[in-house]
Amino acid sequence: MECGVYFTTYKDDMALRRKPLEKLRLALFAALVVIFPFIASPYWLNLANQIALATIGAIGLNILVGYTGQISLGQGAFMAVGAYGAGVLTARLGIPFWLSIPIAALITAAVGVLFGLPSLRLKGLYLAIATLAAQEIVEWTVVHWTSLTGGVEAMVIPAPRILNMRLNTDFRFYWIAVGMAALTALFTANLFRSRVGRAFVAIRDQDIAAEVIGVNVYLYKLLAFGTSSFFVGLSGALLAHYRTIISWERFTLETSIVYLAMIIIGGLGSIQGSFFGAAFMTLLPAFINTAGRALQSTFPAIATVLPAVQQSIFGAIIIFFLIVEPEGLAKLWRDIKNYFYVWPFSY
Amino acid sequence: MKRVWMLTAVLVFMSLALVACPGRGGGETGPIKVGAIFDLSGPTSDVGTPYAEGIQDFVKWLNENGGINGRPIELIYQDYAYQVPRAEQLYTEFVQQGVVVFMGWGTGDTEALRGRIAEDKIPFMSASYSHVLGNPAEAPYNFLVGTSYSHQFFIVLDWIVEDWRARGESGTPKVAFMHHPSPFGLSPWEQGGEKYARELGLEVQPFEMPRGATDFIPQLSQIRDFGAQYVVFQTVSSPAALALKNAKSLGMTDVTFICLNWCADEILIKLAGDAAEGTIGAFPFTPPTLDVPGMKDAREFLKAQNTTLEEKGVHYIQGWATMRVMVEGIRKTIAGGQALTGENIKAALESITNLDTGGVTVPITFTPQDHWGSKGMRLFKVENGQWQQLTDYLYVQ
Repeated sequence: MECGVYFTTYKDDMALRRKPLEKLRLALFAALVVIFPFIASPYWLNLANQIALATIGAIGLNILVGYTGQISLGQGAFMAVGAYGAGVLTARLGIPFWLSIPIAALITAAVGVLFGLPSLRLKGLYLAIATLAAQEIVEWTVVHWTSLTGGVEAMVIPAPRILNMRLNTDFRFYWIAVGMAALTALFTANLFRSRVGRAFVAIRDQDIAAEVIGVNVYLYKLLAFGTSSFFVGLSGALLAHYRTIISWERFTLETSIVYLAMIIIGGLGSIQGSFFGAAFMTLLPAFINTAGRALQSTFPAIATVLPAVQQSIFGAIIIFFLIVEPEGLAKLWRDIKNYFYVWPFSY
Repeated sequence: MKRVWMLTAVLVFMSLALVACPGRGGGETGPIKVGAIFDLSGPTSDVGTPYAEGIQDFVKWLNENGGINGRPIELIYQDYAYQVPRAEQLYTEFVQQGVVVFMGWGTGDTEALRGRIAEDKIPFMSASYSHVLGNPAEAPYNFLVGTSYSHQFFIVLDWIVEDWRARGESGTPKVAFMHHPSPFGLSPWEQGGEKYARELGLEVQPFEMPRGATDFIPQLSQIRDFGAQYVVFQTVSSPAALALKNAKSLGMTDVTFICLNWCADEILIKLAGDAAEGTIGAFPFTPPTLDVPGMKDAREFLKAQNTTLEEKGVHYIQGWATMRVMVEGIRKTIAGGQALTGENIKAALESITNLDTGGVTVPITFTPQDHWGSKGMRLFKVENGQWQQLTDYLYVQ
């Protein structure tokens, strides 16, 4: 009878999916993901797409914050670069949408490296403030560089099409968003089994020790900023093509904080956690909204206070989850798995 | 382990609640679904809240009085806090829920959505009177019930020229244009206003009123240096009232301040107090200080709620009147025996000629080439803390 997980070879220990049960769960999840769009209502498909895009962004941020230990408040800015990059490339330069997405992600990676430069000298809260500057600078640029971005006016970009088929319907875009999210997750999972990924983790755990064992801290920090921003930009570019209307309001400091909340609630340094956090932070406001709208028809008087109430409930639930499980939903999921793995003979 | 169970239970409950909620409905006999977004918590919520109440109350009043041929209206609405992305999100959601027409709010969101609106064929009446939205070639499914911002600005500029002459002054007056930092604020300036002012030989200059400003003394000082005799506001009541107070403290008594429709209201007088005296306001919709027959229903409805139209103000009337025109389009479609599709409602709206709003606006007319329903408005002036009529209806020349 097993009472824990013990590996006898390094190969087993290093495997991406280590247990048969994990493989089964993955297969079940994949099957669910494939079946889902055929049974879900448009409302749910829309939420699923939002979750998939948020997952890409959250994984991107997790690479930087959770795995490499560099706090960033510039998430909204990097998403804006990705979104406006894709928007300008398609709407103004006429580049096809599928090409604009990788180019926009690469531009964001470059911008990320640029704003990552202060990290070479700054750590912790000081770095957070430096990235806050990135957020403000990019936001200001987007609002005031009117000839490029349209300024305060929202930028409308043509709907993505292939062979005259509109791809940004909820059903069709689902495959793009989920496919990209899966690729991002796969890439990141493998990244942290590689030399580069381990260097990131070494920097997070103790940067001086990392330097002593031969990790080029400067290089890897910038690399972490670049990799992270690439995925954040990817998320922004996909979002731009999905919604086709982009405006600066989507990429404010609030966005940065929501994404930080996502990875903290989901679990720092965990891909699963990024997904859980993204799902949680997308579904919770949707749930509160639906509940609010249902109440609104019964008690019309609450309509005016509803926005404020929703915000407070949102905050309260986040605090509740953080107190109950500070290591995030990923840890909770791990606990559940471990509990059942050895059930009923746990000790 | 207790905590695991508890959290799991909470998550399961939440997912169940989510599954249970949204549904679809509609058909040929059930309620008619109308989508709406309001600003109840954003930077224009001061004027957005009474406007939203006007729309909601009209729907309630209509449903209490038999609906449209016995069919009630189901208003699906939510606050969007003046954020374009949320507007887009809610619009998409409500269209999926089967709304046939939509009541919008801001300029930024309506202009951004206009392509999507045309594609979805959803007749759309926004509280934004941005000029471009009345042009069917640019925005085929948008309809303006109020006088467009550009037309309001043209009329005000004409009045300034006249007023300047009436004062016996020579030369040309200087006009400062103080605007909200948004597409709404810039709309009349960019869509013909600046050009028209220069054609009239006026010296004009725009001044942005920054987001979240606690005073506008720097902008007003610049305006004083520029030497403006007239200041035109294209913003909402709260910032305009603040600017009026600042102007008073700067001693700018020889300057005439003019509000386009979104700051010409009771809120401005309440917030600015004495500083509002002498301010001119553009009123495409009649304020409650003038009692016209078109306000009778709203007055009676509010009386039953133990409140008055005076308390709710002009933006309430505006919401009520706008919804009324939209309902007229739906009513005409049903009366013509046609299915309630976007195309049919659009055609019905385009057949509206000289719709009498009982003196709330000039008679409303839409044609397939012209969705600017109203082209006239009156000017009012604040005297003793009240909006008093200054001119009769003025029209674009």
